Amino acid sequence: MIDVDFFLETLGKLLAAVPTTLGLFFLSLLCGGVLSLLIVAMRVSPYPALSWFARGYVLVFRGSPLLIQLFLIYYGLGQFEFVRESPLWWVLRSPYACAVLALALCTAGYTAEILRGGLIAVPHGQIEAGLAVGMSRLTLVRRVIAPIALRQCLPAYSTEAVLLVKSTALASLVTVWDVTGVAQQIIQRTYRTMEVFICAAAIYLVLNFLLVRAVALLEHRLSPHLRARPSPVPTQTRTV
Amino acid sequence: MISTPPPITLTTTGIHKSFGSHHVLKGISLDARKGDVISILGASGSGKSTYLRCINMLETPDQGSISLDGESIQMRQRKDGRMEPANRAQVERMRSQLAMVFQSFNLWSHMTVLQNLIEGPMRVQKRLRAECVEEAEQLLQRVGLFERRDYYPAHLSGGQQQRVAIARALAMRPQVMLFDEPTSALDPELVGEVLKVMRALAEEGRTMLVVTHEMGFARNVANRVVFMHQGVIDVEGAPADVFGAQGSERFRQFISSHQERAAA
Repeated sequence: MIDVDFFLETLGKLLAAVPTTLGLFFLSLLCGGVLSLLIVAMRVSPYPALSWFARGYVLVFRGSPLLIQLFLIYYGLGQFEFVRESPLWWVLRSPYACAVLALALCTAGYTAEILRGGLIAVPHGQIEAGLAVGMSRLTLVRRVIAPIALRQCLPAYSTEAVLLVKSTALASLVTVWDVTGVAQQIIQRTYRTMEVFICAAAIYLVLNFLLVRAVALLEHRLSPHLRARPSPVPTQTRTV
Repeated sequence: MISTPPPITLTTTGIHKSFGSHHVLKGISLDARKGDVISILGASGSGKSTYLRCINMLETPDQGSISLDGESIQMRQRKDGRMEPANRAQVERMRSQLAMVFQSFNLWSHMTVLQNLIEGPMRVQKRLRAECVEEAEQLLQRVGLFERRDYYPAHLSGGQQQRVAIARALAMRPQVMLFDEPTSALDPELVGEVLKVMRALAEEGRTMLVVTHEMGFARNVANRVVFMHQGVIDVEGAPADVFGAQGSERFRQFISSHQERAAA
């Protein structure tokens, strides 16, 4: 039998932890996004040293488990006295900050590769057309390359964002009281694993559903040129 | 009749270009006077597109000089001996005066027809939006696509896209227009509408360099024909001369192979 009262009580407690989960998500999405721009700029730069650094970064942060990255940052760095004595410690002693850092570093690696894919997909002819009218490099990036590349990236990026929402659950393992962390706390007290975790999973599901819908809406808004041809031109012509 | 020739607008001197060990351009020198319509003919691989792309620095020539209205593009030598533009701002400014029409149109796919036309004038020449829109609408009237101004390029036929691309080039109020095989990517029935626009531009005195395979255009619209062969200018002159007795033997071979292809 499902205990409705217990279920509602659990739901209430878990919902109270949603701001923490969303905070982890948005902060790491933002920091990871900014970092990924830096990484992809290095990756496609003509300087081999920068390009190889970016390749190395992607290899490490995409190729190793996020959980281990998180443990290394939270438990590992604290072992060194110079870290504990540096101003960085102000950030690294906080479990929440460590979780954001680990999530951001990891998602930046993935996002940089998604962005690189988008850049490669920009038709070269459209870049040349920009050069041929005399656009500066900045104008070309802002008006031609970035809009086309970002549209190309959106579907893959929405997947990365969904993965990131789910990855925030790992923060519970370094004592952050997010949705998963609170769920485990309730289970330890009540031993009612099924109800609590189903409730937690449903919350992640709803968050991701909203996220996917939001990105789909954005994609639709940004891609009128990929949709069907508009209705036939009215025969009446406007006079200038 | 004696009249002073129009002033020289574009000068290219001794243009060389190699890709790896392949020497594509072996010293091309050509001047265009104001109002000249110069057809550049040649077999595929003769270097004609590369030459056109060197003029606006989409390809950097290895040697030679380019000047527009008496202003030379400043070049400097890199460590490996090749040249590069010394002043990017100058190249950008000169490019805005050398409008290019591409074989594959290259309209910006995420912008409507009208946005394609006002992008360069607004973002590069910093002109006012209202003025750019007004001028763009007039240009679209001219190429017969005013009703399509809010369409995206993907929703237009190839011929319509190329006419938009020509209007986009005109919107920059260029000194010289460069056409890189503007009809080669079009279905045969769409070639005519593009050639008609180009003929009208020639008649209003635009300075145009046209790399093309359209012999009719070269013969009837251009006032000069340049035939390139293996990276050099084989023969050049007025169409009547080049297509007539004064043309080279190689040019006659080129023409006859062209006619065979057209007849086949």
